Amino acid sequence: MAEIIGGIGISHTPSMGMAFDAGMRDGFAPEWQPWYEGTRAVKGWLADARPDQIVVIYNDHLNHFEFDAYPTLAIGVSNSFRQADEGWGPRAFPDLPGDSDFGWFVTERLVHGGFDMTVCQDLAVDHGIYSWLPYLADTPWPAPILPIAVNMVRHPLPTSQRLWQLGNALGEAVRAYEPDQRIVVIATGGMSHQISGGRFGMANEGLDRFFLAHLQDDAARLLAIPQRELMRLGGTEAAELSIWFAMRAALSSTVREVHRFHTFPKITGCGVIVFEEPPVVTDAIAVGGR
Amino acid sequence: MRDPSFDMEEPGTFIFDGPRSTAGMRLNRFALSLKQPSNRATFLADPDAFMNRWDLTERERSLVEARDWTGLLAAGGHLQAILKLAATLGLNLYHIGAHNCGVDAHQMMHACPRRVVSDMPHG
Repeated sequence: MAEIIGGIGISHTPSMGMAFDAGMRDGFAPEWQPWYEGTRAVKGWLADARPDQIVVIYNDHLNHFEFDAYPTLAIGVSNSFRQADEGWGPRAFPDLPGDSDFGWFVTERLVHGGFDMTVCQDLAVDHGIYSWLPYLADTPWPAPILPIAVNMVRHPLPTSQRLWQLGNALGEAVRAYEPDQRIVVIATGGMSHQISGGRFGMANEGLDRFFLAHLQDDAARLLAIPQRELMRLGGTEAAELSIWFAMRAALSSTVREVHRFHTFPKITGCGVIVFEEPPVVTDAIAVGGR
Repeated sequence: MRDPSFDMEEPGTFIFDGPRSTAGMRLNRFALSLKQPSNRATFLADPDAFMNRWDLTERERSLVEARDWTGLLAAGGHLQAILKLAATLGLNLYHIGAHNCGVDAHQMMHACPRRVVSDMPHG
């Protein structure tokens, strides 16, 4: 049977991707050098983990979906995912590989488990995945990716509690997959940032560090914070921290934090955390509830 | 420039909710069409003709022409959509944020990250 070997929570931002491209060409800008350095250990962990599949819960930024039909929860089921052109032209990276058999298996489990996913058989992926992936892996990309997209652009957003439940269901689905495969679950969003209005560029490092410090063992305390409170303290886009709950809930209660890093380069709190499962997997915890 | 506050009201904070999304349908369709390179070229070559295709109101067209980024957001443009318009014009996120804050893009770039004294969340 498949097992979840660990999870990663990580920020995304277009500038993170641009900083990577410029950094590889000319060396990293001083504000981005710490992020590059801080993600080296995570890259090493992912390489050592040798995942057969990587599930990524992320959010699109109107680069694939538009308002004529914007799904609250969507899953990409395909053997390949294009990179979206966000307006500046795509970056020089290959498409993401997918594994549609695994994608259909997880989709069926999620839908029968109460999550009516919008299924996308042709999905273009934006900086929600492409901005951080090159920091964590070289090309060719190390494993097929199963993208799950969460609406974070138009209110109402799915609640933190609902995303926790999604993570629970995802964990159960993945562990029911018959092939002996090693699965890593990654959630990406946030951390604190606001990219419009008079609060543009607000940076709440305290909030980000508080979140990182409690995600392993006290997620219930974080879940109790209303999204609007995350937005008030960390900026409107800090609501994306809710996505991290889906990763945490897919893992067991006995995970161990193996890496944590945070820096604030410019307008988005950049954090990363890695949880590793002990060799014997236990049942997923359920502190969420409605 | 004042430090950011913890208020959730405009003009400090724009919340993109359903009614705003309804108001912004035309603007967002127009702006998101600029994800296609051919549309970017067509818009730059003849902005008037291109905007005619998208049924924009006079008010919306004038906001685009004036590069009134704050007005575009207030009129229902989503930041991620309006950013495509900025990208097409060779501008970026800082130009929008700077306009929102009444400074120039260079000042805004220099001011970020705008650190706030942390307050612990209340649940």
